[in-house]
Amino acid sequence: MKLLSYFAAGALALGLAAPQTARADQPTLNLFIWSSYIDPGLLSAFEKQCNCKVIETDYESNAEMSAKLKAGGDAQYDVVVPSSYYVPELQDEGLIQKIDHSKLPNFGNLMPKFQNPNYDPNDAYSIPYQWGTTGILYDPAKIKNPGTGWALLFDPTVNPNYPFVLPKGEGRDQIGAACAYLGYGFNCSEKSQWIAAAKLIEQTKKRPNFAGFVDETPARDQMKSGLIAVSMAYNGDIASCYADGSCTKLKYFLPDQGSEIWVDTMAIPTHAPHPELALQFINFILDANNGATLSNFNQYASPNAASQKQLTGILATPLINPTAEEMKHLSFLAPLRGAQYKLFNQIWTSVLQ
Amino acid sequence: MIPRGVRYALSGISWPLYALLYTPLALVAFYSFAPAPNQAGHSLHAYGVLLHDGAVFTALRRSLILAFGSAITSTALGTLLGYGLCRFRNANAKGVLAHIPSLIIYTPIIMPGLVFGISELIFFNFVHSATGFLGAGLQTMIIAHITFQVPYVALTVFARLAGLDPYLFDAANDLYADGIKSFIHLIVPVVQPAIIGGFLLGITLSIDDFTISFFTAGPGSVTLPIYIYSAIARKGISPEINALGTMMIGSIILLAIIHFFITRHRERAGQLTPTGKIA
Amino acid sequence: MSAGVKTEVEIEAGRQRLRLWVTSGPGLVWIMIFLLIPSAVLLGIAFFSSNDYGSPVLPLSVQSFQQVAGYSLLGWDPGNIIIFLRSLKQAGIATLVSAALSYPLVFFILSRPESVRPLLLLFIVLPSWTNQVVRTYAWMELLGPNAPVSWVAHLLHAVPPDLGLAPGSFAVTTGLAYNYLPYMIVPLYASAEKLDWTLVEAGRDLYASGARLFWHTVFPQTLPGLLSGVIFVAIPAFGDYVVPQLLGGDKALMIGSQIANQFTETPDWPYGAALTIIMLVFTGMGLVGFRILTRKLGGAEEATI
Repeated sequence: MKLLSYFAAGALALGLAAPQTARADQPTLNLFIWSSYIDPGLLSAFEKQCNCKVIETDYESNAEMSAKLKAGGDAQYDVVVPSSYYVPELQDEGLIQKIDHSKLPNFGNLMPKFQNPNYDPNDAYSIPYQWGTTGILYDPAKIKNPGTGWALLFDPTVNPNYPFVLPKGEGRDQIGAACAYLGYGFNCSEKSQWIAAAKLIEQTKKRPNFAGFVDETPARDQMKSGLIAVSMAYNGDIASCYADGSCTKLKYFLPDQGSEIWVDTMAIPTHAPHPELALQFINFILDANNGATLSNFNQYASPNAASQKQLTGILATPLINPTAEEMKHLSFLAPLRGAQYKLFNQIWTSVLQ
Repeated sequence: MIPRGVRYALSGISWPLYALLYTPLALVAFYSFAPAPNQAGHSLHAYGVLLHDGAVFTALRRSLILAFGSAITSTALGTLLGYGLCRFRNANAKGVLAHIPSLIIYTPIIMPGLVFGISELIFFNFVHSATGFLGAGLQTMIIAHITFQVPYVALTVFARLAGLDPYLFDAANDLYADGIKSFIHLIVPVVQPAIIGGFLLGITLSIDDFTISFFTAGPGSVTLPIYIYSAIARKGISPEINALGTMMIGSIILLAIIHFFITRHRERAGQLTPTGKIA
Repeated sequence: MSAGVKTEVEIEAGRQRLRLWVTSGPGLVWIMIFLLIPSAVLLGIAFFSSNDYGSPVLPLSVQSFQQVAGYSLLGWDPGNIIIFLRSLKQAGIATLVSAALSYPLVFFILSRPESVRPLLLLFIVLPSWTNQVVRTYAWMELLGPNAPVSWVAHLLHAVPPDLGLAPGSFAVTTGLAYNYLPYMIVPLYASAEKLDWTLVEAGRDLYASGARLFWHTVFPQTLPGLLSGVIFVAIPAFGDYVVPQLLGGDKALMIGSQIANQFTETPDWPYGAALTIIMLVFTGMGLVGFRILTRKLGGAEEATI
């Protein structure tokens, strides 16, 4: 009993000693972003520039972020960072607001292909933040002949023994990969193609060495520990573990049948408490120097043309900057809206069951 | 009271179980001594990184405040709840209505965490926009945590009281005229292990909660599970995370052992009697 | 007695009711305000239709309940029934294993001197104060393809080479037992600690053998704790999806993850709300049945809330 009262007293004392998080007169920017996705140095720099306080809250999946926004979180945050394929949904549901480009003088810094992408024409609702690719990661010590396509995941003869995984998520990448393997192209959109892809994945589930549904980033960690041998992965995750030396033996490639190029974007929730600060922040990120600092921290590619010459090290390699040949096989996930979106979700749910 | 043969059997099963309980933790500790990046050989590098990371300690402090703050309140509410339902409920009530208090108590246990969290978010959001009170943050998290802890305390206290000799309560009435006095001086000591158990359960539930905390948190109110979840999502189970776990468990074990030796020393010196039961 | 004057019995009954409200009232009212009302509002959306992005819209409909029964845009499939049974099985395994492990542990602790008991109990609860993901990942490694335990499994041909015990059902059972042991032990211990050993002594005179002695004199006294423990384990285990996700490879969807998906990855909030309602109804019915059953077994004694 005494011990507990010590604990309680200590906890209360700590609580009372808690520093205030922001001075009452200082405006704040509430940033809702993927964890470890922004350089803390950039946040301090922005705080100095705007004479405000930045409060960062993290999430690990678009789905979590979207659920929180839908449940009322859209009045709590000023900037969110959805992936490109989520932007159409957030826009249709009225969760993000139109962006006033007149307040973004640095917008022109963006590369042309990111200024008018298929998922958000003219970047009306979202501004590109970082981009990357999705490909296959494997352990060459175990897999000798990976091939060049998606067969490494879907063809039992290429990998009959070693544990492998597929991501869980919303299913876009997985169905896309299966479609590409079956010859329909990564961005297949017919119901019959989706169903064929779903059936392929269900068969893949039944293979004895299928080790389950594990998302790209945790899968990389499992492969580092030797628990699995093949998975899908994001190029930036690989770059950062090459950089700290923890996965140098693993190999990453982009299947030539087609794969995904994705963009994480900045958006402003509809009921954001400080939208003007949000626009300032977005413009700040679009600055050439800040864009370079960001990419050098994240080890992901920058959509900012003006930042390219400041990018260092691995960012200049094809891992992060795919060659023109590789770019031919990469596509943005086409926006799924309305009834198509619902159908896709139900197909993916039935795959997961 | 327990025959010797049975005692040996119990030890034979239990010590290996204790070992199994701590094997994963031993692995966690082992990994925390991983070499620094691009170097070889075990090191304390991860501990160094951890101790310099202000964010971890902020998160830890928040989690402790949240856990203790909510557990104290929920233990109070839950103990009264369990006691009241055990002692004062009409045991012969029939029909559907009789089950209602039980169902109310079970609801936080049955409710899936995600639904719980989203409901709270919507509710607090509504209250905040209507009245300005209960902005998302530590206060909303504490309320949510209390809500899911109360049933556990109530059920644990109830289980302890149930099956007690009912004459105990009559004795209470004879000894103490005032219901409150009888509660404090007679009931609480009897129920003490259950109260402590309920309190421990409350802390356990709170410290490990991710989903409900995620949805009821305000901007920047990061608790330890939220912090760890983020760190794992981005960097995997890094040596720093393993170091964090090792330090937490290690310090509690250390404190518990120290407390044990202090108490035993005092007992032997005749200053304390073993706590808990009425003889 | 003239009408209008209460009898002593009535006054006492009134006082009882007052005491009931004073003690239980705060807790019950708290839960009602902070959970029942908010979740009733959320679950009410089960009766709405869902738009393409899964948000609730008018008109009202029972379409989401049809989805629970298995009807979707793709026709009918028994997926939800399978998921439900799977989750039930998981709850059963978690409960049985944690109960089986708890009894020896509890009586082991009771066989030790009193001063040491709180420490022993704390040491059982302590592992659950590490982060669930961290300790589950540790099990993934301990049962993974490279681990010693898996080599033994390879030798016994229980597992193909290059694969491990994790992910797999053995790993899931281990993970469930590991996670839920503290929730079974605490109430069981609280109950067993006040065991009346004189009854056991009396029983020893009547029943010679150990097992019968245990069953007739010891076990019934631990029943309240066991029943609370069953509730603390079975219900969360029924909805648990973290353990099957990490140690089972997420190959088998549980009802908890099915519900979570409907609010996040594949959003359809009315469907998620309907699934939750059905799950709550089943679990509530199960609990009420459990209560009635334990009353019948224990005579008039109330063993659990």
